[in-house]
This record gives sequence, structure tokens and C-alpha cells, in this order.
Amino acid sequence: MSQIIVITSGKGGVGKTTTTANIGVGLAMRGNKVALIDTDTGLRNLDLLLGLENRILYDLIDVTSGRVQYKKALVRHKKYENLYLLPTSQVKDKSAVNPEQLVKLCDEMKKEFDFIIIDCPAGIEQGFKTAIAAADTAIVVTMPEISAVRDADKIIGELGRADKENVKLIVNRIRPQMVEKGDMLDMGDIDEILSVVCIGQVPDDENVVVATNRGEPVITMSDSTAGQAYKNVVARICGENVPFLKPQKEGFFARLKKLFGLL
Amino acid sequence: MSDIVTIKGLKYGLQLTFDKGATFEAVQANLLNKLETGNGFFIRGTTVFVPKGYFAEEQNEALRRMFHRHGMLFSTELKRPNLAPPSRDTTTKAPSQKLREAVEEAQKMMVINHTVRGGQEVKANCSVLICGNVNPGAQVIAGGSIDIRGTCRGFVHAGAFGDKTACVVADRLMPVQIRIADIIARSPDEPEKVSQAERAMIKDNRIIFEPVAR
Repeated sequence: MSQIIVITSGKGGVGKTTTTANIGVGLAMRGNKVALIDTDTGLRNLDLLLGLENRILYDLIDVTSGRVQYKKALVRHKKYENLYLLPTSQVKDKSAVNPEQLVKLCDEMKKEFDFIIIDCPAGIEQGFKTAIAAADTAIVVTMPEISAVRDADKIIGELGRADKENVKLIVNRIRPQMVEKGDMLDMGDIDEILSVVCIGQVPDDENVVVATNRGEPVITMSDSTAGQAYKNVVARICGENVPFLKPQKEGFFARLKKLFGLL
Repeated sequence: MSDIVTIKGLKYGLQLTFDKGATFEAVQANLLNKLETGNGFFIRGTTVFVPKGYFAEEQNEALRRMFHRHGMLFSTELKRPNLAPPSRDTTTKAPSQKLREAVEEAQKMMVINHTVRGGQEVKANCSVLICGNVNPGAQVIAGGSIDIRGTCRGFVHAGAFGDKTACVVADRLMPVQIRIADIIARSPDEPEKVSQAERAMIKDNRIIFEPVAR
């Protein structure tokens, strides 16, 4: 049974696209056949994160308008053979695709793929409505920050209005030190406001920026904490029961080194 | 022996049907027993429907009073309780009747069985019971009082038509802004931790919070 998952957030810059890329690679690494659909028309990024920009021939608009078969527009990942990307157009805007077209496309693709993951644009307008139309599961990405949590709450409400009841949460870019000092919302605060199942707590990690720039998702880096957290997210999507990572505290020596400016 | 009253759950409430030949007194006694033993069906705010014309008008009135005492609504019309604003043709009615209708309306209750999230809005002429949280960015505006079984972090307005006796109760009452009738209060700039249920009401033309037990 294939799953259609939409990754959404409301607020921009919380890591929707990063999460999409990592979950996609993670699921493919486990042997699933995965398609990623970028619906952020006009501001496409997912191809960059996967390092596939130079291989794009056709895009989502070509497919939904009937110019080509979707199979022609799919870009196969260079490393993971069962990961495909359906990129969107960089020149058109969000009105170029409507919800019915995406539902039809996903119905067709469902026969071929185990997972279809849709990267949703920021905002709650047309683009959002199109992106969520086909999904049976929604993953809301947020950050431990009051505006991101507020927007996530709004998005969960909007998803409820669109009859999407299967909603999961990923909290991205957590800084354990700041949480400990009480300068950042902790998981308890976020859970209490949003009250949806959390399937990921991803720490803020410099490796993510490195990975983005290299076009290799952070989940492939074995020494990255964010990568490990994303691996756990993928395991939870596959139905495994994995405990959350313990927040890494800065060790005594690390702090001492910092104090003397050695780090 | 089978029960003379049959309870059937509907989308908007409970439908009662009675055994053929059961007297009104027997039915009333049976229901009162059910209400007082609390058999789990009769939850505050539920609407109870009795087929129209089954009992005489004064008997219906007796049942209505009995259910009201237990915090429930009583109706002979099998439809969703009227939560929409009343129609505008009230101008023809006498002012006293209008007032009575307004008071009756305020005594009704609307039940929201989910969390009210940011950007969502609940509006009712009557009182509102929310089983869930009221999140930041959400609005609840009621003609009567507001009872929140959860945390209130949004915007609440009770007694929106000027009822100064209205109140707001919540397990953790920390609204961004609270209004009762025409009086406005806002949250303190330094957020406080609230650990017990509180009620907000008007005293000496100011909104005060006081702890309540529940």
C-alpha cells in the first residue's frame, strides 16, 4: 500500500524542503521506491538539495498540462536508484497547477511507488491547497520558536478543515543548550499547544548547511546528529518504535575549551 | 424486564423513545433515576429529543425543566439546535418577548469537541463549552459564558451582547486578551505560570480572576 505524504509548515524557512529531501533519501536507502514532488513552483529548491538541477528535462507543469507523461519528467537520483524527483517549474507560478491535476497525477503514480512525498510551499494560499489535496498523511515541520509554532497551529487547523486527519509533527532546528537555559521553547511547550503526534526532534546542525550546498542530504552523513535524527524519523514513518535522541549536552572540556577560545 | 425508555444516540444529541403504554409518570421517574445515577449518556450540554406530540405541552414543560436542572437541552424538534444568529424579523415582537428570547438563548450551550486552533473562530449567541484548548490566535465570542476544559491562550469574549454576569472559566486561563461585556483586559507583559482552574468575571467594573475548584 503506497503512502502519499505532504510536508508542510505554513512559515517559510523552517526546513520543509530539507526534511523532504532527507526523508526521501532515507526511505530510498531502506529499499522503498520513492517519488518526491516539488510543488513550490517558482521557488523550486528540492532539486538543488538533491544535486539534480542539471538533469531536469521536463517539469510538473509539463506533466499536469498533459505535454509529457510523468515518467519522462521524473529525474532519477544519481546514487539511490529507487529515488525519483518530479521537479517543478522555476518560471511559472503557483496557479499553474490545480488540486485536481495533482490528485490525478498522484493516483497514477501510486501504482508505481511505495512513497510519494510532496514538498509544499510556504503559506496557506493556492499553492498549499494544491499540495495537500492528494496527500493521505501530512507532516508539519516547525521550529521551537513562537511564530513557527503559531503558524504550525494554523496549518493543522487548515488541514483539519480539508479533512486531513492524519497529521504528524517534526520539530526542526532544536538547540539543546538554549532549551536548557529556557531561552527556547521546549518539546513540552510545543506538544501542549499543537497536541499532535511528534515523529521527529531534529537538532540544529551546521552539517545541514554543508549538505545543502553540496547537494547531498545530511542523512547520508554518518557523524551528523541531524542526520541521525532524520534516520529515526524515517524509521518511525516505516512504523518502527524508536526512542528520541537524547539532547547532546556540551561536555565539560568543550565548554572549557570554548572559554579559552580554543574552539 | 426491558427498559421503558430507549435512548438512541444521534449526531446532535439523544433521541428518546418510549414503550407503548408507558405512563408519563413512569417515564419521568425512569428518566430522573437515570439522570441521578449518571448512566453516562446524559452529559452536560447534550440535547435530548422527544417526539413531538407524544406528551402534552405541560408534560413536555416538566421534562424540559428536569433536563435543564441537569444542564441539558430539551427539544421536540428533531434538528440541530439553532446556533445561527436569530433572524432579523424580531422587530415585530414585543420588547419583553425579545428580551425573554435573548435570555433563553443565552441559557443554551454550544459544545465544541476539539481544540480551537490559531485563525479559527467560534461565535455563538449562547454559552460555549469547549472540550479542548483555545490556542493563541484563536477567537471565542459568546453571548453567554465560556467554559474551557483545557488551556486558554487565545482571545475570549464572554457576554458579547452586554451580559455583565457572564464569566470565563478554564483549566489554565492565560488569554492574550479577555473581554466580558464591554470591559477589556489584556494579559500581563510578563507571562505567569497558571497551575489551577480560574474564573474570570466582572467585579467593580474590572475583570478579576479567581481560582475555582473543579
